[in-house]
Amino acid sequence: MSLDLQQNYFELFGLPVSFEVDSAALHAAQQQLQSRFHPDRVAGGSDQEKRLAVQQAAWINEAYQTLADPVKRARYMLSLQGLDMNDEHETTGDTAFLMEQIELREEMEQCQSCQDPLRCCDHITGKLDQRSKEYAAEFQRLYAQGDHEAARQVIKKMQFIQRILEQIDEYQMQLEEDLL
Amino acid sequence: MALLQISEPGQSAAPHQRKHAAGIDLGTTNSLVAVNRSGVVDTLPDEQGRHLLPSVVWYGEDEILVGYDALEKQAEDPLNTISSVKRILGRGIEDIRSLSDVLPWRFDVSTDSSVPRIVTRRGKVTAVEVSAEILKALAKRAEDSLGEGLDGVVITVPAYFDDAQRQATRDAARLAGLNVYRLLNEPTAAAVAYGLDQKADGIIAIYDLGGGTFDISILHLNKGVFEVMATGGDSSLGGDDMDHAIAEWLVQEMGIEDMDPQLSRQIMIAARRAKEALTEADQAEVCIDYRGETACRSLTRERFNELIGDLVRKTLMACRRTLRDAKLDREAISDVILVGGSTRVPLVREQVGEFFGREPLCSLDPDRVVAIGAAQQADVLAGNKPDSEMLLLDVLPLSLAIETMGGLSEKIIPRNTPIPVARAQEFTTFKDGQTAMSIHVVQGERELVSDNRSLAHFELRGIPPMVAGAPRIRVTYQVDADGLLSVTAEELSSGVKSDITIKPSYGLTDSEIETMLRASMEHAKEDVDARMLAEQQVEARRVIEAVDSALAEDGRELLSEQEYDAIVAARDALEQKIDSATADELKAAIKQVEATSEEFVARRMNASVRKALAGKTVDQVDV
Repeated sequence: MSLDLQQNYFELFGLPVSFEVDSAALHAAQQQLQSRFHPDRVAGGSDQEKRLAVQQAAWINEAYQTLADPVKRARYMLSLQGLDMNDEHETTGDTAFLMEQIELREEMEQCQSCQDPLRCCDHITGKLDQRSKEYAAEFQRLYAQGDHEAARQVIKKMQFIQRILEQIDEYQMQLEEDLL
Repeated sequence: MALLQISEPGQSAAPHQRKHAAGIDLGTTNSLVAVNRSGVVDTLPDEQGRHLLPSVVWYGEDEILVGYDALEKQAEDPLNTISSVKRILGRGIEDIRSLSDVLPWRFDVSTDSSVPRIVTRRGKVTAVEVSAEILKALAKRAEDSLGEGLDGVVITVPAYFDDAQRQATRDAARLAGLNVYRLLNEPTAAAVAYGLDQKADGIIAIYDLGGGTFDISILHLNKGVFEVMATGGDSSLGGDDMDHAIAEWLVQEMGIEDMDPQLSRQIMIAARRAKEALTEADQAEVCIDYRGETACRSLTRERFNELIGDLVRKTLMACRRTLRDAKLDREAISDVILVGGSTRVPLVREQVGEFFGREPLCSLDPDRVVAIGAAQQADVLAGNKPDSEMLLLDVLPLSLAIETMGGLSEKIIPRNTPIPVARAQEFTTFKDGQTAMSIHVVQGERELVSDNRSLAHFELRGIPPMVAGAPRIRVTYQVDADGLLSVTAEELSSGVKSDITIKPSYGLTDSEIETMLRASMEHAKEDVDARMLAEQQVEARRVIEAVDSALAEDGRELLSEQEYDAIVAARDALEQKIDSATADELKAAIKQVEATSEEFVARRMNASVRKALAGKTVDQVDV
């Protein structure tokens, strides 16, 4: 019993290659595969069987993690088209987007002196969630049109939004802990 | 002797090949072992009916005692009585220093090895060796109960244990001669024991406060699959700290300044008693012998709650963080389970209930629940339950990282990533002509390497000389289902490769373990003899039982009085020997019973065949 490692992640879970993923179906497919390939299924087996099982289960986990996260999923879809992103060295040339980035960061910093910093953060989070949805739709449209270079530019924006959301989240957690 | 147990025709007399598996909860304060006996999974008691085995080892002149016997030595011989050793398992000298006020023993810091060694009268011992003694005692309890050797075990560890601590646990098992199917996280084991796999779908929180560790895990259950969503905690926070808080209070109250190891032990023991008493009572007396007199102070529940308030708050903070990691609100939690002896403390129950807004589940004994779950999992992994749907999916408790320029820690696998997992990252050289690269593996969440746990250093050599930045060195981290890491480094253009299974900086090297194994072989003969004797005793009892039931059934019918008496005589001779004879003598006595009853066995066979055929014509019989 072994997995076909030539399949792409979508094929592995029996899903169509699409940015829109049915997360319940994805989760169920992942558990079903782990039920068959997890190392615990060969706990009494040979060392070789166990090693193989670790690799297969790791691959299933990696595939799941990739498809479950919108930014990773988008990047993966692009890589299926032969386009890899090189994080460190890429910046966006979209000046309007850059301006918005700076504004959002300033707004976040101002939150610290807000009367109710938690609500202030929620307000920014709401705006960012809205932006995420817009970019996701844009990515989908561009990808479908085969304009992969433009789609790649959108992913950079999605990544930025995700990062700032994480920062706000961390900041809110800190605030809550300080209040206790 | 199997033929004495004749079954009805059509029924199988051969017992199916069950593997002997046990679940072991290797705790800071107490340890337990559980097995499945005739379909019932439960922890095993000692001869005196005590299920807990105190995790205490006493090193005497010519014997090593484990458990209650060792505990009795604690007050009189504190330096040779090792308790709470789990706190230093997989830890380095530096960690030990910060715990030194809690731990009374003398450490030997002069060796080359980075593994701390405790000085006892029987020489220097590591935490791995002390843990192995506890594991051996538990395995023996299981083997005595099953009457046979163990095929494999599941040992539980706190979910929050890092790689070094997990590796050390595995090393201890190896030293104890145990085959480990799996290291299982304690909270997951508890969820298994509660039988929550019967639940269709739900999210549960497991709050596990033991003697020295705190874990919080959030699990998603779905048709037998236990999926850990996030885990957090503190691997050095627990009931011991409560004892310590009481001890500090007592020292202040009494104005004690002349502390010595014996007095310190005495105070800790009195503190623990007071804590336990306060579970039921509103007030407890804390008494010690001080300067030749008995001195007592009274501690109220209220004051105790104040003393431990910070500790409980710390655990709830970890709960918040973990919920956040799982991206969940408290409302999403459908059940809360309490595990660990320290959850008996009323303040803990109260605050946890308040935090999650629901009454926590605690119907199972919080001390025994983890071992029971481990035994159930061991049974599944041994292949005894081929139909079981149960699957336990874990996550990595702490991020795995690599040291980069400037002493920074760069994460390769973030915490709470489902395991098994493999991740690779590429690095390059920073000097022209550089032919070697040093790789430093660390674990933890902090930015600076020095704030995290160092797991291992190794070197990739033989990189072909190239200009700086040209080589592409891929470092791959792989974590298996136990949460154990192995690392590979490869220069991609030349294919130069180097790989190691991480032996943590704070761990024992393979050769150190070999040496310990050899040393324990000296005692091994005694162990083997003891096991052989136990096996023969079990066999003897089984034979006696079989003879008795066969004689009662049709002995008078099939045997002459003389034959009957001969069998009874052999049987009685065997019974007399059970508790006094050696393994070989017992074996001979068993043979004697078997020889004497040979004819009886044959007659029973014939009688049983006749009975089965009675009333059937030839063509009804399958030939």
